[in-house]
Amino acid sequence: MAAQDIILRPVITEASMADMDDKKYVFDVAVNANKIQVRQAIEEIFDVKVANVNIMNIKPKKKRVGRYVGKTNKRRKAIIKLTEDSKEIKIFENQ
Amino acid sequence: MASKAKWTKKKDQDGELIFEIDQDTISKGLDAAFKKVRKTLNVPGFRKGKVPRAMFNQMYGETALYQDALNEVLPQAYTNALEEADVKPVAQPEISVESMEENKPWSIKATVAVAPEVTLGDYKGLKVNKQDTEVNSDDVDAEIDRLQKQQAELVLKETGKSENGDTVVIDYKGTVDGEAFDGGSADNYSLELGSGSFIPGFEDQLVDHETGDEVDVKVTFPEDYQAEDLAGREAHFQTTIHEIKTKELPTLDDDFAKDVDEDVETLAELKTKLENKLRDQKQQAAEDAVETQAVQQAVENAEYEKIPQAMIEQDIQSQVDQYLGNMQRQGINPQMYYQITGTTEDDLKKQFSADAENRIKTNLLLEAIVKAEDIKVEDDERAEEVKELAADYGMEEQAVRDALTADMLDHDIAIKKVVDLISDSAVQE
Repeated sequence: MAAQDIILRPVITEASMADMDDKKYVFDVAVNANKIQVRQAIEEIFDVKVANVNIMNIKPKKKRVGRYVGKTNKRRKAIIKLTEDSKEIKIFENQ
Repeated sequence: MASKAKWTKKKDQDGELIFEIDQDTISKGLDAAFKKVRKTLNVPGFRKGKVPRAMFNQMYGETALYQDALNEVLPQAYTNALEEADVKPVAQPEISVESMEENKPWSIKATVAVAPEVTLGDYKGLKVNKQDTEVNSDDVDAEIDRLQKQQAELVLKETGKSENGDTVVIDYKGTVDGEAFDGGSADNYSLELGSGSFIPGFEDQLVDHETGDEVDVKVTFPEDYQAEDLAGREAHFQTTIHEIKTKELPTLDDDFAKDVDEDVETLAELKTKLENKLRDQKQQAAEDAVETQAVQQAVENAEYEKIPQAMIEQDIQSQVDQYLGNMQRQGINPQMYYQITGTTEDDLKKQFSADAENRIKTNLLLEAIVKAEDIKVEDDERAEEVKELAADYGMEEQAVRDALTADMLDHDIAIKKVVDLISDSAVQE
């Protein structure tokens, strides 16, 4: 699997922005990726050093539109902590 | 701060002021603008009002903030630029943006009118008409006479005939061509003969009648009578006189004097008091007249550059506002005023526009003289002025000081001193 297929998108919320001060970054990752693959993919894409990777699965939510019941996609969210001496990841341009 | 303000004078009193707003100020403005807009933004993943600046820039771009930021910083920047270029505008500027680029100072152009230059003519030793300040005994007698009439009591006349000056209580029924008309009849109406409150001729025909007389009054409505359908027509009024009352003048003695004025004991005292009052009034009127004439002459002697239209409009507007403000204090709001008088705002403006130019010229002249004479205001003069204002408006002295800036106060005092200078040096002849 290529690095770009493992790291899907950054999660940008109030909580994730607050974590950035601690050099922790949150990404949606491929549901079948493991911690080692995520670590390698991040280091390859952003040229940073990863200290630690935590991963969680987000269960699909039940949604209904009229009488049709369905589910949202399941997600896998990785919180990546960089080492102290690593450079930062730039989520926004011109930052 | 804003720098490099450049003033270019265009035709008449209009000019262009080009100035820059530096990046420090801009970024402060942007921050302030963002703070405001942030409160209203809803972005997924963030509570309302918690969007980070970086997220905003990503979504909308920094330029979205420029207009708000400009509004935020412009007033201060404009004031600073005026100071730097030493320009004193007389009206609101027209602002246009020359350039507005990221990471560069913004360049702003303000088109504004300035006060026209005044070339002073003669303003000292002006010749004005001689003012009469003498009070003679005739004036006092006339005043006593007026008071006497004011104090007169109406006494029922049992017998005898009505005379001019009497008050009659009448019923009347008016007809035109045998038909009654609106407002043409009344019962128990008190009419003073010779007061001129009725149609000319009406009152005359009630003279020389006795109580209980029925009089057929024939009159012709004047051509300019306010009710158009009656103007110029002949009318009959069937009039019954119920009562005749005559005015009884009080005798001129010490009691009368006391009735008129509690502070005096005798008639002689009253006369002296009246004489003094009249003299004061005349003195005041004379001073006012000299002042008006002298200042007007000074205005005419001076030469002016063209007065900008903006200045005139502003003056008219402030006069209108002041006038309506006075009405408001009497409980009449502008809408009511226009309705009652049947005028519009435009009419009112027209009414004030006649004098607007003269008023502006007077103000410009006085200010120019303040400068020319280098008039300074002393501390005790300020204290005096504040005391007077406080007395005039029934306010605390401190409240007056708070309401006025030191500059405004100094300006007012200086203007007053100039007016005194002009009128004191004027020669009566």
